[in-house]
Amino acid sequence: MMACHCRHSRVLLTSTLLTSTLALLMFSGCPKPPDFPSGEAANAVGEGEAEEGFPELEPYDPPTLADLDASAQWKDRPVLNAMDEFRKLKEGVPQLISVEEALKLKNNSEEDNEKILSALGRPAASEKEVNSDAQINRHLFGDIKTTNPLLQSSTSDADVLGLSAIGFFSFDWKLQPFAPSETVVSWQTSKDQLYDKVVIRDDLVWSDGKPITAHDVMFSFQTIMNPKIPIPAVRTGMDKVRWVQAYDDHTFVIFHKDALATNVWNCNFPIIPQHIYENSIPKDLTMTDSDYHQKYEQNPVSGGPYRIVKRVKGQEILLERREDWYLRDGKQVRPKPNFKQVRFRVIEDATTARLALNDGQIDEMELQARQWVEQTNDDAFYARNVKVRGVQWVYYYFGWNMQTPLFKDLRVRQAMSYAVNYDQILKKLNYGLYEQSTGEFPEGNWAAPAVPRKPYVQDLAKAEALLKEAGWTDSDGDGIRDQKINGKTVKFEFAIMCNNEQSRIDICTSLAESLNRLGILCTVKPTEFTVLQQNATDHKYEAMFGGWGTGTDPSTLENLWKTGESRNYGGYSNKRVDELFALGQKEYDQTKRAEYYREIDQILWEDQPYTWLYSRSAFYAFNKKLRGYMFSPRGPYHYSPGFDSVWTVAAP
Amino acid sequence: MLNYLIRRLAIGAITLLLITFVIYGLIRNMPGTPLTVDMAETDPSKQISPERIKQLKAIYGLDKPWPQAYLHWIGNVAKGDFGRSFSRKRPVVTIIQERIGPTLLLSIPSLIISYLLSIPLGLYCSARDGHTDERVISTILYMLYSFPAFVAALFLQLLFAIHLRWLPLFGMVGDQYEHLSLLGKTWDIFLHALLPVTVFTYGGLAYDARFIRANMQEVLRQDYIRTARAKGLGPVGVIWTHAFRNTLIPLVTLIGLTLPSLLSGSIIIEQIFNWPGMGSQFFVSITERDYPTVMGLTLMFSVLTLAAQLVADMLYAFVDPRVRMDQ
Repeated sequence: MMACHCRHSRVLLTSTLLTSTLALLMFSGCPKPPDFPSGEAANAVGEGEAEEGFPELEPYDPPTLADLDASAQWKDRPVLNAMDEFRKLKEGVPQLISVEEALKLKNNSEEDNEKILSALGRPAASEKEVNSDAQINRHLFGDIKTTNPLLQSSTSDADVLGLSAIGFFSFDWKLQPFAPSETVVSWQTSKDQLYDKVVIRDDLVWSDGKPITAHDVMFSFQTIMNPKIPIPAVRTGMDKVRWVQAYDDHTFVIFHKDALATNVWNCNFPIIPQHIYENSIPKDLTMTDSDYHQKYEQNPVSGGPYRIVKRVKGQEILLERREDWYLRDGKQVRPKPNFKQVRFRVIEDATTARLALNDGQIDEMELQARQWVEQTNDDAFYARNVKVRGVQWVYYYFGWNMQTPLFKDLRVRQAMSYAVNYDQILKKLNYGLYEQSTGEFPEGNWAAPAVPRKPYVQDLAKAEALLKEAGWTDSDGDGIRDQKINGKTVKFEFAIMCNNEQSRIDICTSLAESLNRLGILCTVKPTEFTVLQQNATDHKYEAMFGGWGTGTDPSTLENLWKTGESRNYGGYSNKRVDELFALGQKEYDQTKRAEYYREIDQILWEDQPYTWLYSRSAFYAFNKKLRGYMFSPRGPYHYSPGFDSVWTVAAP
Repeated sequence: MLNYLIRRLAIGAITLLLITFVIYGLIRNMPGTPLTVDMAETDPSKQISPERIKQLKAIYGLDKPWPQAYLHWIGNVAKGDFGRSFSRKRPVVTIIQERIGPTLLLSIPSLIISYLLSIPLGLYCSARDGHTDERVISTILYMLYSFPAFVAALFLQLLFAIHLRWLPLFGMVGDQYEHLSLLGKTWDIFLHALLPVTVFTYGGLAYDARFIRANMQEVLRQDYIRTARAKGLGPVGVIWTHAFRNTLIPLVTLIGLTLPSLLSGSIIIEQIFNWPGMGSQFFVSITERDYPTVMGLTLMFSVLTLAAQLVADMLYAFVDPRVRMDQ
């Protein structure tokens, strides 16, 4: 069960809403809960309609543990303390300037950024340095929808539940999975990769004092798989798991349907307390309606390091450190979480949030690129805060619908990539903050090309030649290229859709201007996010501007590029790519897997179904009292240790 | 009178059916379903399979043609069941109820302040028409009317919350709210509401004052006013006794039309001040294609609009003796 971070992968970046909350779906720190696929609603369950058509969990008679142990040939998997790993990593990184210097330095360059992070992004030298009574006020762009881990759907839910829910799996800044030693004693996988055996610690308790056991894990699995309970999104993810069996209070085994290299990412689900829900669920299948469930929605029993003590709808969620998380009979059994209280303040308006940051009412927030460049350079900001940025594996692209006659032709797509004014888009419209991207895997990813690719540069002559070669000439002299297709003259005109947000419209307008010079009429069509998303899914568009956050494993790309997949908006189809994805799933050797994914990436680069534009950084502001933050490819929180490594300086 | 009422109510019911039918048709025909945003955010390794999407569509009632789904919805509404929100997994009625209080907390004070100030201002401007002070006031009112709320909000936040530190920057209650006495709680909410109410009010105030002044100008040109002046009445007597009641007629219509806006909230102001009102809820529900919530809110606004018009028409009879309901 991996409650944690293992999941989230690619997050669509076409909306501001999503960009801001972006790849959030991961959790930080300690053992945490899984992040969920956005929730499908529990609608209409009261009427019993949900029961129809949901297949029951197939009955399975698991072998005894003794039989399993005899045949499985268990192989140990990593059980780690993420903070120890973080400390080891930081020991090897030189501190470039003193803390005092870092706090005074304004972040105006890559160099400044590196210096600040080297000084402030460190673990405490000793426990005395940490103010363990501190409170941190974190920023949330939107309110949570639920406190029940099984029902969570939004990125805000994931951020909050990341601290209050328990999990038995996690991944580090290299996106490598492990089991956290705070909750797990051992994790083993069978030689045939079909079983994962986990022994959890015997000193874990729910916030109501009842022990957390393997039976809770099995109960949670069965709740998710119960067709009468309307949590289909989470359930869908569990389709590749055949069964979860608790053999005693602390040992459970996950039975997979197939031996896949990606199984570790697939068995990730949230854990709820059996003793709270086993009698109440049959009476209220929605898990929300009854007074009983409402009571636990407002005051949930948590298994993680923090518990929710207060919730004001639309305003704030207050979490308090659980002393029984790290103390057992007065003895410390786990690292003490660095904050006594974590307050999430919901502020939807970015300007209000920035004012709250300057005013010290929130201690951290993710900044928009424009805020980074223009609104966080004054003394009002630097009086209380520092700002830092990190490389994030998030790229933006122009996507071409290959099912349209215009973009079916490779030469046309290449011409598009040569037409783009990269200088304008990168230097002017994005303030020179980003690197141009050259494919699916950025430098540092284990599947990235061995030799970095040469990015496309604008070359209108080349674009023109390619268009001519593809048959697009201006035959009637009206200034717009055309071509006879099936006996009918077709003009080269199309619309590019983007989210209705000025910065995106500007980027698309830059493309339209470049194309006009080539005799192509491109109209920019700002589109509401939901409409854009639906049109993309239905392939009802010609070109679009969008972005993707990284997955934890290259296999998650399948969804974008395998024939017929739901996020393959452009209708890309390549037999070899499909084959390579299948091979990558079944191969366990990472070197070989890397070769498969590299080949996929190379084929995609040659086919240019996207014109890859740039990868976006993560920009954050932190209060000067905070230390220990670090950026992973998924931002500062959504990995391990993530938030757990952040601490406050004790008063001298 | 009774006949009139019955006729109006019957017309109202038909109008309601038409409005909800059209809106239902429109939102169901917008691209995107409640599943669209979900699917965009979902982890790709756990993509919702096409079969599952079909099942979910069946749960949401999206597999039926929309007129049929509309009949189902309106049938449930007739039984008092407004459905459950797709995205929030709670009854629509509960969601609306939670938002009513905060929304009224902004709109009622705003409405009262607006009229309390705009009527005397409008009357004063009419009486002093053409004088310097009237010009100054009118210019200021014009400027206020055209000043964008989000800019005003930012200025007010910077001045009162950041520099002077007199008022809270955002939110409806403070961190210590639950530990306060009843008086303390009221004071806390009062302080939090001051800035949003101000931003919510000034535009309307400017509009109303100018509206009253314009109407007054119209009335003052009437013969009976000249008669009143001719018989030696002073300007105050003319305006207050003879003109003002007649300017109330259009004002009543205006107040009537304001009624639905009491509950509609304001998307921008609610977002800036983080106020949990109706406006932002409506906006989010549309983006999420949360049909039951959108329809619940649409129904509420429609009923309020129709009721307000009815009340306004009846008030006419009160302020204007020439109008009689049975005519």
